Amino acid sequence: MTFKHGMVAPLVALFLGVVGFPLGYAFYLSITGYRLTERGTPNMVGAKNYLATLQDGAFWHAFGTTALFVCVAVSLELVIGLAIALALQKQRWARDVTRSMLLAPMFITPIAVGLIFRFLLNDQIGAIPTMLHGIGVDYDFFGPGRALFTLAVIDVWQWTPFMVLLLLAGLESIPREPLEAARVDGAGGWYVLRRVTLPLLAPVLVVAILLRCLDAMKVFEYVFATTRGGPGTETETLQYFVYQTGIQFFRLGSASSMAFVVLLLVLTIIVIVFRRLERAKQS
Amino acid sequence: MKGSVVLAVCRVALLWAAAISVLFPVLWIALASVKSPAQLNDPFLLSFTPTLDAWRTVLSSDILAAAGRSAIVAVTTVGISVIVGSMGAYAIARFRAGGTLTRFGMLAAQVLPPAVLVFPFLTMAYALRLNDTIVPVIFAHLSFVLPVVTWFLIGFFEAVPRSLEEQAQVDGFTRFQAFRLVVLPQVLPGIGAAAIFGFTLSWNDLFYGLILAPGKAAILPVAIAGFNTFRGVQIGSMSAAILIAVVPVVIASFFIQRRLVQGISGGAVKF
Repeated sequence: MTFKHGMVAPLVALFLGVVGFPLGYAFYLSITGYRLTERGTPNMVGAKNYLATLQDGAFWHAFGTTALFVCVAVSLELVIGLAIALALQKQRWARDVTRSMLLAPMFITPIAVGLIFRFLLNDQIGAIPTMLHGIGVDYDFFGPGRALFTLAVIDVWQWTPFMVLLLLAGLESIPREPLEAARVDGAGGWYVLRRVTLPLLAPVLVVAILLRCLDAMKVFEYVFATTRGGPGTETETLQYFVYQTGIQFFRLGSASSMAFVVLLLVLTIIVIVFRRLERAKQS
Repeated sequence: MKGSVVLAVCRVALLWAAAISVLFPVLWIALASVKSPAQLNDPFLLSFTPTLDAWRTVLSSDILAAAGRSAIVAVTTVGISVIVGSMGAYAIARFRAGGTLTRFGMLAAQVLPPAVLVFPFLTMAYALRLNDTIVPVIFAHLSFVLPVVTWFLIGFFEAVPRSLEEQAQVDGFTRFQAFRLVVLPQVLPGIGAAAIFGFTLSWNDLFYGLILAPGKAAILPVAIAGFNTFRGVQIGSMSAAILIAVVPVVIASFFIQRRLVQGISGGAVKF
């Protein structure tokens, strides 16, 4: 074995052990009727779980809920994140302290973030509803039609910093000349932002949006900490739905097939985005 | 000129608003952790005699043991990932070892929904009678910490000039010695950042811990999740427990934020 293979072998072996093998095993589970409560070899059911998943209204409901959550959360994160990144770029006073502090939420364990907001937004003892009540507004943050939006706002609180981190790095690596040239030509700030900065920032924007979307799709902790899928099934997201199927109902076979459908959706999104990126590079 | 003044005011206002929204929830929790249950019923009671009851309850509860287990899981996961990952990342960066597939695998593993891998880990843990111990949690955490740490390090190894190790080999070092004694010290800051980042990922994970070790071997996020029965009595101790989970990683994060972008992008972007 040559040196280079010797160096990479432990990585490949461990990777196959902790990712490759479980992935294959998960596929095997997805074509069986495995239940956690039964002993013995599970029976093979072929594509039955997949067909059941694809025909399951609750699964597609969870899919729609997750899609809506991702759209609301990531677009808010993009707009707010871009504004904060632009503001931070010009910040001189207490620069490092400001940056460190504004980036901090992304390092907090999400379950803690969920519980903090559950406490903060609780309609009896929460600070924010009490404040709102003081000015005559009654707003139940986890009520019907509102809970999913509240969850998205929690996601925005925690993950806008990630957007800021990437966009700020992108902004600081943009060449200065085009910006200065536009200024010399007398272009206004808004025009420069739209016609010069944003096009130059496009590759970073796409990567940042993609990473955030992929991560937001896995939302679980906020749901677990606050609504547990309610009111009704309004905030049942994909990851929470799979968790329930596998852990509360012990149907590991069905749960694995659902997880694979989610994985396929994720891969489709990635392939589409990368195709687009390649095409944009060529033109 | 007038426009730019307005813009500057907006900019500072935005940053203040952002800073307040970040700080307020955390400070509120800190405040709640030193209030008594009765005082908690009045959110805007700001002048009160602080009590350490909640902290005493938490420190004598299972939370500290859970934090210990979380630390064991995170340190083990990161230790293995850094050793195996730095060797692999070096081979990938320098020799393109394993081809595009290995490199792509490290990236692809980061988008795997945890729901795909968790059930195999669970059934294997049952088969080996290791369910509700931290062993399957460590393996599960390796599945995301190892790819992230390796990906993180590839960029840092690529930045080391090749001439350094060539010189070392001329000086009579073996290739492995050149790696260990010459290249590794060059990427030490990168390894430090990758280790802290990996530690944070493992320390913060709820999903795997909740499914693989929900009971007596609960790790910290799982133990904290147990507080959501939400009786008034518990809010003080919940707040204290949250602070125990949050403060160490947030402080550690301050040291790695500058290198984070370089790591996440696999060295493609420098901060």
